Amino acid sequence: MLNHFEITFKSIIRDRIFHGIIFSALIFLLIPSVATLSMRQATELSMTLSLSLISFILLLLSLFLGGTHLWRDIERRYTYPVLSWPSSRSAYLVGKFSGIAAFIFLVALLLGGVAVLTVLITAGIYPPERPIVWNLFFLSIFFDACKYILIVAFAFLFSSVATSFFLPVFGSICIYFVGNASQQVHDYINAPATIGISSITKNMATFVYYILPNFSAFDFKINAVYRVPIQVSGVLMTGVYFVVYLCMVISVATLLFEKREMN
Amino acid sequence: MGGTKRHILSFCLFCLCYGLILGPFVNYMHNKPYAEKLGVLPTIATLKFLSADQKLLIGSSLVMRVITYFGGLAEMAKNKIEIPPDFPVMSRTIHAAVKLDPYNNDAYYFAQSFLVWDVGQIDIANSLLIEGMRYRTWDWYLPYFVGFNYAYFKHDFKSAAYYYQKAAELSGQELHINLAGRFMQESGQIDHAISYLTLMAKDASNPVAKKTFETRLTAFKQVSLIEKARDRFTLKYNRLPESVDELVRTGLLDKTPSDPYGGTFFLLPDGKVGTSSKFAFKNPKGNRPDSGATP
Amino acid sequence: MKALEIHNLVKIFKTKKGQSVHALNDLSFDVMQGEVFGFLGPNGAGKSTTIKTLVGLITPSSGNALINGVPVSTGTARLKVGYLPENPAFYDYLTPEEYLTYVARSFLVPVAEVPRCIEQTLKLLELWDARKRQMRSFSKGMVQRVGLAQVLVHDPDIYILDEPMSGLDPLGRSLVKNIILELKNRGKTVFFSTHITDDVEKVCDRVGIIVKGSLVAVNNVENLLKGGVEGYLVSLQSADSTLQNLAPFSVLRQSGTIFEYYIPKDGFNRFMELVIRSGSEVVLVETRRKNLEDYFLSLVK
Ligand SMILES: Nc1ncnc2c1ncn2[C@@H]1O[C@H](COP(=O)(O)OP(=O)(O)OP(=O)(O)O)[C@@H](O)[C@H]1O
Ligand SMILES: [Mg+2]
Repeated sequence: MLNHFEITFKSIIRDRIFHGIIFSALIFLLIPSVATLSMRQATELSMTLSLSLISFILLLLSLFLGGTHLWRDIERRYTYPVLSWPSSRSAYLVGKFSGIAAFIFLVALLLGGVAVLTVLITAGIYPPERPIVWNLFFLSIFFDACKYILIVAFAFLFSSVATSFFLPVFGSICIYFVGNASQQVHDYINAPATIGISSITKNMATFVYYILPNFSAFDFKINAVYRVPIQVSGVLMTGVYFVVYLCMVISVATLLFEKREMN
Repeated sequence: MGGTKRHILSFCLFCLCYGLILGPFVNYMHNKPYAEKLGVLPTIATLKFLSADQKLLIGSSLVMRVITYFGGLAEMAKNKIEIPPDFPVMSRTIHAAVKLDPYNNDAYYFAQSFLVWDVGQIDIANSLLIEGMRYRTWDWYLPYFVGFNYAYFKHDFKSAAYYYQKAAELSGQELHINLAGRFMQESGQIDHAISYLTLMAKDASNPVAKKTFETRLTAFKQVSLIEKARDRFTLKYNRLPESVDELVRTGLLDKTPSDPYGGTFFLLPDGKVGTSSKFAFKNPKGNRPDSGATP
Repeated sequence: MKALEIHNLVKIFKTKKGQSVHALNDLSFDVMQGEVFGFLGPNGAGKSTTIKTLVGLITPSSGNALINGVPVSTGTARLKVGYLPENPAFYDYLTPEEYLTYVARSFLVPVAEVPRCIEQTLKLLELWDARKRQMRSFSKGMVQRVGLAQVLVHDPDIYILDEPMSGLDPLGRSLVKNIILELKNRGKTVFFSTHITDDVEKVCDRVGIIVKGSLVAVNNVENLLKGGVEGYLVSLQSADSTLQNLAPFSVLRQSGTIFEYYIPKDGFNRFMELVIRSGSEVVLVETRRKNLEDYFLSLVK
């Protein structure tokens, strides 16, 4: 498994598309000057922009790595020799997945460092009204990375049955939007102000809500940018949710992958 | 070899064509009305869905769009181009922005800068600000704005005092309580506005906003000068002066004050000071409820 | 002892349009330990399907297969197996050296021995100079050689090779044949598929012939060829005038002054007498053996 992990890591680093995506991190250079457009919250704006850029890069990475990696291995028949080896298919899948996950964490960490510099520069020019809370900033980046790792897990799930890259790529894009909206829709349906929805629809919506991923939980951007404190229990809850949900998705993926015919 | 040459030649030709159209194109884009650029906005629910986990970014970018739009208008007004600003769209955009990012300070600040002065939608601005106070619980500016709006525009001194009190609690400054007391007299209005504008102009980091405030501040200071001269005139001659010129002639004013908006000051029959510019660079019909006179 | 056992294997593929393809029909045979077994069959006969089942890439519709007595569905059954897919592809962003390290580690080769194993195999397959090049720049034959290298590098006991000679130049083919013979000498089991009867003749102990998913014959190669010499191909250099002397025998082919004759085994002595008498010069004598290809073709048709 460690073996698959290492090879995956190597493959990502040597990939040209990855280089292109990382290149987009150069946008960080623009942030301090864009932040000056703000009238009263230059630091907040630079934090927003930094976090958004990180999110965006991680989103691209997760779609691209998750959506194409496993699929390409199967498509180009790299899996033929590899899966005939004694290690199990689940070890292969989990090894590959953890390679990508570790990579996303690494990129998040590096970009986080760059973001700190960017924010510090802006804050140096336009001192913020209230001090920046770096813990919240890093926490937000960490959970952002977690969210995209979940998306990679979904991409793997789709790849384990897909015969073309449409399902993994577009499937995970859908998951991205649906996961971000699920809480909103749920809140809307269950708001006392909402009338005219039958209880059957409500129950069905609630059921779907329980199954779909909930990415709103991972969104701590507001807390980071505006220094709104988070409860420790909230952080723990999100962490536990992430681990459990991730294991769930990956286990389904391995199950399907074990059953898959390689031809 | 000939093929390569032909390719290079045609490439150069296209470059030339591009160079030719570039000038007119840039010119067109530059003059393209900003109102068009602000464009249409999807419904808030759609926006929320589409912005996925980038709500803060989209919120900020909406505010930025309005700010650049507004800045552009001011720029054009200086060049004597009059384009009616699309206030409803600006207002809607700001609303959408705070729905996406209820903490966005720029949005509140901007609403306070243009909704109240230029559009006169005091109630809308106040409801926006009061909503924002639920989120920005530490920020004394929001209640300060609300207090100012109540006092200056609506003459509701009781509500004003309440919000100034809140602002004072949050900021730990007595200033606002003092201010609240001062509005009890109508005569204090222009000074009140001046102190408000001074504060706003002082900590505006955005050049457009700063400029807007400073211009208004200069105009109001002139008004204040004229009012003071008028009062001295009344004391001395026991009647209202007939014109600004009369104040200059009697030596109560050094020279005719100039309106930074490009208008000329005049005295209304009741003694209030007005200006032909109505404190704005442009005056599209129907968009400004203000009269030329100060309150 | 049996290295590979295949019992009543049936594989039915479902195509996307809902048709079913019977790739394997009740296939059964064994491969003994230390044996070189050739798996011969026309295109689409089911060779690759059988092999993929053996290495666990596809699950049979019914029946089962064992490696060293362990069902193929268990991953550990393949710990001592080297598999070469047909038209193999490997991570093209890796170098052969990196890929082989990956393979060796996955087969739990002791870390200390990995570099030595890799050097040995790369040199054997003449890839040593290309060991630090990414495989995306490799030619088809080079990739095939990497395929063989990844089979050999962990020194397994059982070799399952799907068309090991495909894409190789004559030098490569003879190299592979030598490698297989060498493996046989070391007591390893080799099971390989091919369309080329000549390969089977040269290296195999036994041959299985599969047609349309069923095994039509399993035979000892030696027995098949035991009939031995059937006749001779003789080339003579002579002038046209001398040919009348050889009249009972007809010319097979002529090029310039070289004449080629096919002489059945029992006519050889008489033919040679006539040749000597005619004064022609014998340029070449080739023995004609009973041919596996003929046997194969007769079975397939
Ligand atoms: N995934 C699949 N779906 C449907 N039919 C398949 C599939 N894979 C193989 N087949 C069919 O199974 C049969 C056996 O194929 P197989 O690849 O085993 O042949 P082969 O003997 O290896 O042929 P070749 O000599 O060309 O490599 C063929 O008729 C093929 O069309
Ligand atoms: Mg085949």
